[in-house]
Amino acid sequence: MPALWQLLGKDESEAAHLFAVFRQDTKNDPHVHVGDVHAADSEMALVLAKEQFARRDPCVSLWVVPYTAIAATAYADSDMFEPAIDKSYRFGGSYREQQRIMKGRRR
Amino acid sequence: MLQLEDPAVRASLAGYLLAIADDELMIGHRHSEWTGFAPDIESDVALSSIAQEEIGHAKLFYEQAAGLAGGSADAFAYGRSPGEFRNAVFTERPNGDWGFSIVRLFLYDRADAHRLASLAAGNAKPLADLSTALRREEKYHLAYGEQWLRHLAGASPEAQERVQAALDGAWPEAVGLFEPVENEQALVQSGIMNVDSRTQADRWRADVTPVIEQLGLRVSEVRVTPGGRSGQHSEDLAVLLEEMTSVWRSDPEATW
Repeated sequence: MPALWQLLGKDESEAAHLFAVFRQDTKNDPHVHVGDVHAADSEMALVLAKEQFARRDPCVSLWVVPYTAIAATAYADSDMFEPAIDKSYRFGGSYREQQRIMKGRRR
Repeated sequence: MLQLEDPAVRASLAGYLLAIADDELMIGHRHSEWTGFAPDIESDVALSSIAQEEIGHAKLFYEQAAGLAGGSADAFAYGRSPGEFRNAVFTERPNGDWGFSIVRLFLYDRADAHRLASLAAGNAKPLADLSTALRREEKYHLAYGEQWLRHLAGASPEAQERVQAALDGAWPEAVGLFEPVENEQALVQSGIMNVDSRTQADRWRADVTPVIEQLGLRVSEVRVTPGGRSGQHSEDLAVLLEEMTSVWRSDPEATW
């Protein structure tokens, strides 16, 4: 798999100073990618991310990840996510536990 | 609202609150001058936020002072002449370069932390509660200042030199943040201040010096006589006020 910075057409030195920011709204939520910051290192990235992404929304925790650390699939390969035959039996939407989780996320 | 029987303590506390509020207003105003001009957009947003918070803190302290001595936050901020301000001269100095602003932010917020800690541990409940609340915001200011200082000091020999020059300029006047207000002992004796400003200054020095030395920087031995707490200011304050108060002066009675 290519590195994400390659897919985005950036050079490696730029990618090293670009950090993906993940915010967690409450302890029960996942960390969600909310944007990026430019910073010299991860500590500075955290300091800057706090003001860019946590000043208006609830937040209990932030993660920052340099783009050089992210491997990614290319959109050109997105057909690999398409089922060739009907696999709806995998969806699990009729399970009670699945419905409970999905309901909690729909707010 | 603060309830204080002793008129001497009231007067002294009103002066102290004004000094704190004036420091916060001046440093907040200077930080705000970077809006749109900081080295990168992330730092620009963050420093503008810090500026807003410092000015917000100023307003809260002005309101406490007004509760003791009358007046209003706006009148304190915009309606006084330079000689009536009680801020440390350190806070009214122009920004100059980014290095100076970062050094000042670092030194100021570390000093403010000791000041707030003393009030938070004091026995004037509303003021202690307020200080405790403000310290939560200050936690971020401390992190921002230290991160930037570390980066500038470690970036290149030229950056190191410029930070050192900024520190040489800043340090002697930074000490003036701990210049006591008139009759400070009344505040210490009554327990409103948990420790006096001299002790706060010692703790501040012990706090900032290791960080500075660890970064290969030196603190200056130069001493200057403070005076901000009794209204002796540089010409820089008059220039700052001229600009900062221009809108308010166009119609002091207007409601915003």
